[in-house]
Amino acid sequence: MSHTYTDPFWKGLDEGEFRVLQCSDCAAVSFPPAPICPRCHSDAVDLTPSEGRGRLVAFTRQHRTAPGIEAPIVIGLLELVEGPRLLVRIDASYGSLAIGDTMAIEPWAYDEGIDRGRLTEHPYFRARPEP
Amino acid sequence: MGSAVTDRSSDLTDTDDSPGRSDRRTDAYVTGIATVPNGTHERPERALAAGVLLGAVDDAGVSVGDIDALYMPKPRPWTPQGFVSTLLTHQLGLELDASLEVYTGGTSGGHAFQAAVQAVRSGRIERAVVLAVERNSSIETDRYLSYILSIFDREFQSPAGPTIPGVYAMSLQRYLHEHGVAREDVASVVVKNRQHAVENPDALFTSPVTVDEVLDSRAIADPLRLYECPAPCDGAAALVVAGSEAAEGTPTPVHVMGTGFRHPASHLLGTRGGSLASFPAVGGASATAFADADIGVETLDLVEPYAPFPHTEAILTEELGLFDRGDGAAACSRGATALDGDIPISPSGGCIGRGHPALVTPLLNHVAAVRQLRGTAHNQIDGAATVLTTSEHGQFDGVTATVFGGGDR
Repeated sequence: MSHTYTDPFWKGLDEGEFRVLQCSDCAAVSFPPAPICPRCHSDAVDLTPSEGRGRLVAFTRQHRTAPGIEAPIVIGLLELVEGPRLLVRIDASYGSLAIGDTMAIEPWAYDEGIDRGRLTEHPYFRARPEP
Repeated sequence: MGSAVTDRSSDLTDTDDSPGRSDRRTDAYVTGIATVPNGTHERPERALAAGVLLGAVDDAGVSVGDIDALYMPKPRPWTPQGFVSTLLTHQLGLELDASLEVYTGGTSGGHAFQAAVQAVRSGRIERAVVLAVERNSSIETDRYLSYILSIFDREFQSPAGPTIPGVYAMSLQRYLHEHGVAREDVASVVVKNRQHAVENPDALFTSPVTVDEVLDSRAIADPLRLYECPAPCDGAAALVVAGSEAAEGTPTPVHVMGTGFRHPASHLLGTRGGSLASFPAVGGASATAFADADIGVETLDLVEPYAPFPHTEAILTEELGLFDRGDGAAACSRGATALDGDIPISPSGGCIGRGHPALVTPLLNHVAAVRQLRGTAHNQIDGAATVLTTSEHGQFDGVTATVFGGGDR
């Protein structure tokens, strides 16, 4: 691997690290990985480790899903401690969640039926509530 | 590449400070319309497309040979027939100076129409047909859901398994949470639009629903309920867009006063740091369209928006400045957006009442606007003289806004 700017993210996740994009010109932290900073457009960007923790901005339980994924599932929008937001699968019951809950991201040995192409052998990620 | 960009921007600075109007050699008018009822159609897309094209040309009182451009959304990926615009051009014997198939999901029809308007305004095209066609009856839900996964970020989002109702469920949750909105007020938007659709012969739904029925319908993506989700269906629509000279003498030309588009940096889950319960693309697109039309929002007599879920219509009315933040749903509940309200929203029934062939919906909104301005709409609003329509794709990531009117009525 190593043919796109997202590869270092997946390499990090292999090692248990959840990496975010850090701009050394404007200091913005963003997600997902991109070839330039989406805030100031500088190309002085690098992936750096995040805490892999954040707060739940919104969440839903989907009662129907694409083939390959067994419904129902819970997904949500997580805001990392460093600032960026991202869509996550959540490993918890819908009724146990509330907006603002603290969540931790973990690598997930992805075993669902969505074809991830060149990333098939790499873990994906999901979030679960912190105790 | 850097120098090319610099050259182009220096060219732009040489032009007038109101580019929307300064490059206008003529105004654009809608002179013909045609639709098929939303529902299930056995005819293939190409036949539906040919039908509405000929229908709109006939309605405009011209002949097929008078058409010099064709603009349309590229039909959905599951459409068996490709190259539909070229097939039509050959089969109907058109001789075109411009043709375009565009695909940006729900804004495709809005883009196709605005591209036609720009070409007509420039004087390059005299008379264009804009058409859209979509059949959802020909695709199974599983295959559709797999297609939807492909519009999310393949690496970072798709494996999580999101759907369209799933991401809109989250903006509904935030709308309720941030503004303390009553759930019943959101459902009232469905009640209103289903009621409006009862009178629309082109609508999929012919019966009204109550707030209780909406909230008791089954959960699709909590807290969104089935009756709050737009029903996919088949549909087709076409409009003829003509310049001032070509529109002269036609029975009922309707002026395209202004167009706008906006796409902030967002992809299905809001802008960085912005509220999920806000759609900045609506404000941006409408501001551009209002400036192009030289009107303010207070000039509008009604709005035919592309608002697939009830809270999105409420938020859209807030973004337009018609109501305060968080008051859009309550405004509907108290009747402000009803047919006899301060500003009727979706008199045609909108996506929720009409049914939602997403590529066609923008043109159905345009057709609804034209009928209001001709005075021939079902649910006709007395004295309607200025109408705004919108379209959107993703989760209001990109939005088109178009102002019709300014006639003598």
